Amino acid sequence: MAAAAAASIRERQTVALKRMLNFNVPHVKNSTGEPVWKVLIYDRFGQDIISPLLSVKELRDMGITLHLLLHSDRDPIPDVPAVYFVMPTEENIDRMCQDLRNQLYESYYLNFISAISRSKLEDIANAALAASAVTQVAKVFDQYLNFITLEDDMFVLCNQNKELVSYRAINRPDITDTEMETVMDTIVDSLFCFFVTLGAVPIIRCSRGTAAEMVAVKLDKKLRENLRDARNSLFTGDTLGAGQFSFQRPLLVLVDRNIDLATPLHHTWTYQALVHDVLDFHLNRVNLEESSGVENSPAGARPKRKNKKSYDLTPVDKFWQKHKGSPFPEVAESVQQELESYRAQEDEVKRLKSIMGLEGEDEGAISMLSDNTAKLTSAVSSLPELLEKKRLIDLHTNVATAVLEHIKARKLDVYFEYEEKIMSKTTLDKSLLDIISDPDAGTPEDKMRLFLIYYISAQQAPSEADLEQYKKALTDAGCNLNPLQYIKQWKAFAKMASAPTSYGNTTTKPMGLLSRVMNTGSQFVMEGVKNLVLKQQNLPVTRILDNLMEMKSNPETDDYRYFDPKMLRGNDSSVPRNKNPFQEGKQGKHILYGCSELFNATQFIKQLSQLGQK
Amino acid sequence: MAVDITLLFRASVKTVKTRNKALGVAVGGGVDGSRDELFRRSPRPKGDFSSRAREVISHIGKLRDFLLEHRKDYINAYSHVMSEYGRMTDTERDQIDQDAQTFMRTCSEAIQQLRTQAHKEIHSQQVKEHRSVVLDFIEDYLKRVCKLYSEQRAIRVKRVVDKKRLSKLEPEPNTKTRESMSSEKGSRHPSQESEEKPATEEYPEKVPAESQPELGTWGEGKGDDELSPEEIQMFEQENQRLIGEMNSLFDEVRQIEGRVVEISRLQEIFTEKVLQQEAEIDSIHQLVVGATENIKEGNEDIREVSTLGPPRSPQCGTTSGQQPSSCWHGCLSALLGPNPQGSPDGTTQSHLHPHQTLGPHYCQET
Repeated sequence: MAAAAAASIRERQTVALKRMLNFNVPHVKNSTGEPVWKVLIYDRFGQDIISPLLSVKELRDMGITLHLLLHSDRDPIPDVPAVYFVMPTEENIDRMCQDLRNQLYESYYLNFISAISRSKLEDIANAALAASAVTQVAKVFDQYLNFITLEDDMFVLCNQNKELVSYRAINRPDITDTEMETVMDTIVDSLFCFFVTLGAVPIIRCSRGTAAEMVAVKLDKKLRENLRDARNSLFTGDTLGAGQFSFQRPLLVLVDRNIDLATPLHHTWTYQALVHDVLDFHLNRVNLEESSGVENSPAGARPKRKNKKSYDLTPVDKFWQKHKGSPFPEVAESVQQELESYRAQEDEVKRLKSIMGLEGEDEGAISMLSDNTAKLTSAVSSLPELLEKKRLIDLHTNVATAVLEHIKARKLDVYFEYEEKIMSKTTLDKSLLDIISDPDAGTPEDKMRLFLIYYISAQQAPSEADLEQYKKALTDAGCNLNPLQYIKQWKAFAKMASAPTSYGNTTTKPMGLLSRVMNTGSQFVMEGVKNLVLKQQNLPVTRILDNLMEMKSNPETDDYRYFDPKMLRGNDSSVPRNKNPFQEGKQGKHILYGCSELFNATQFIKQLSQLGQK
Repeated sequence: MAVDITLLFRASVKTVKTRNKALGVAVGGGVDGSRDELFRRSPRPKGDFSSRAREVISHIGKLRDFLLEHRKDYINAYSHVMSEYGRMTDTERDQIDQDAQTFMRTCSEAIQQLRTQAHKEIHSQQVKEHRSVVLDFIEDYLKRVCKLYSEQRAIRVKRVVDKKRLSKLEPEPNTKTRESMSSEKGSRHPSQESEEKPATEEYPEKVPAESQPELGTWGEGKGDDELSPEEIQMFEQENQRLIGEMNSLFDEVRQIEGRVVEISRLQEIFTEKVLQQEAEIDSIHQLVVGATENIKEGNEDIREVSTLGPPRSPQCGTTSGQQPSSCWHGCLSALLGPNPQGSPDGTTQSHLHPHQTLGPHYCQET
């Protein structure tokens, strides 16, 4: 149980899911156990939660023969228990009642992602009675798993309904009170589920006067209510043993996106951030379109087919784990290295083959076989490993190539460097106007991002004349100016002139123009792409966190409210993924990151643009 | 941490029941809800498939229990010596082996039968898939239980081989020297986990066949008590040499044992792989045959078209000459139409790669 305290949120959620799939009984591996089979039914929320954590093979290992969407056509399968994992919404409940009436399965294990209300439970009871299926409903559980864990210590609150809780939804001027309440409730529900799964009651801190404060107030209330009822409290129980009595309770810092709008727009240089920014990367799955080369097609022949490939980037992928925070050139190099070592191993195995072939006929050569038999055994047993390695290398080669193409086409390295300089207030060698008017560098969206960062981090707004000049240049480049409208409003409204401008001292040293042409066989020809080195960044959110955790006094955070639900008597931040690896921040402190919505710069610009239109 | 609200649910059921009674709403069968459920359920076809599947599973379970029960006795190595402890003779072991094998064969046949039957019956896609996965699970279970069996059998075979080797080292009678007699004595001590004394025939004994007493640790001198110093020395040297040689031979034999074990393991692995590949090769074969057919048909169509000659004139295609253009259409569709079933690597859409995760694209297919 001591290990439970140290288990990452990912492990905890996976264990909870596995227990649920095992008919709500802790799962124990037994090599000579009889097979049990079952069917898994989920809705889209359940699907989003399960898919980053369990692969299809793992589901099979747990005995799941079929996994189906709740709202799909499902045929009756006799003599099979069905495990449901759905949100307790009206339509889901209706469909479940319909299933009961149609007698689709033999027994039903109902699991609700977040707590179901009494009245809806009665609806199900009603349907079960009408269908004479009450004994078939074997177990009903509230799982409190309403959040999506993407990595060992990062989670997202919403995916299916992220429109509801998006930056735009919260910040639009025409939002009504009831709508705001709904948004807050959704967020609080997810956060609550998170803490139940984590098994700890946090201390909550947030800044005043923001949406974060509203969330904090509600969350505090909810936690308090739950703790008050000591018998039914979710925070007492054997799984929580270690956490309950430890001296350290987690600190929850709720931060509103508005304190830092520049970071989501920032161009990135690390592998994972680039993949998220540039490719279609969603819930740990990246979708690539590969054009299958140019075929000289004679008149009237078939069109060029583009293969769509999608890859899952999971924690099992060792290369990904190691390099997702590395700067891109390093990644390219590492892929090369991996490929070479793989080839060496492959050659080794092939060589053995020839040796064995030679020795096969010579009966008296038993002594010569000594080494080779052992080698052969080890080679054969290492084959699956080798194949896996090859698959990963292929995967990353494709992904990295796609990213590289974007970098070269849009000159993202230039943008990155420039933005770093803007954000850290070092002198700029090229004027902003030049870059914007440069037709080769980047899409209109890139230019807009650059300009917005400049605008946001400028101490004083540029003069009217300058602004007009910029606007013209932007429009010439094809940009839509709506986001700028919104940012202007935001800046005027924010009055936090000091905070966003200090992005800390960041310097990026370009290691000269990287004109490395890698050796033959390499696909990564990075000529003309600068090899930029990343330095530690000190972003606003990091600073705030630092202050709060160390209890440092700082005008920024002194005004933060303090809630402790345990006392008897208080990430709404949409954190973009294009941020440097966060683990290096603190020694000895474990930081979990969460956000209500995960978007990349393109999506953010879209939201800003919509806001600017109103 | 999940919360069990089953009791809450049952309470809700009661609440709803009483409420409905109060409102006078008929609830399928009224108070005897449970009896009604039984009635409801019995006419429902219990499903041949699942009952038979469960039968197979219980059989395999019985096999597993049987094997586990007798495992200890089976493995017990020295039962031929310590007969009061071991309760198994070799014949019994053979019997077990045979029984187990026939059992396994019948089980796997039963699984095959179930499989073919499941495919023949007309059912929805989902049910079919469910059944094939269930059969996969059962096969896997059978494999695991068979592993139990093969493990203990491997141990037994190894022991038998060991014993055979030991027994091969029976020394030849009488024409031997002291050394051979002493080694004979050595092999007659079964309690000694005796190291193989390789055939002493390998020692064409230059030792004079004198009836000199043995200076070995276990031998009693049978001959005279006099030994000339040179002879003693010679014997000693001989001893040393023999011991050295035997040790090295012993090492070699151990090595060979190890290698043989590894080879057998490799053998297993290879067999598995070959069997796996067999299925794939079969499917590739099918595809190739299909492709050849398609190409043949395509060629014929092309030939037909070319004999028909080119279309007469452009306007014929639009006004009266419907035939040639439709013929072209027909040919083109024949060329483009038939695709080999499934993608070239032999997988169809419903077969999931183990590395896949659930994704929206999968579910849209169902």
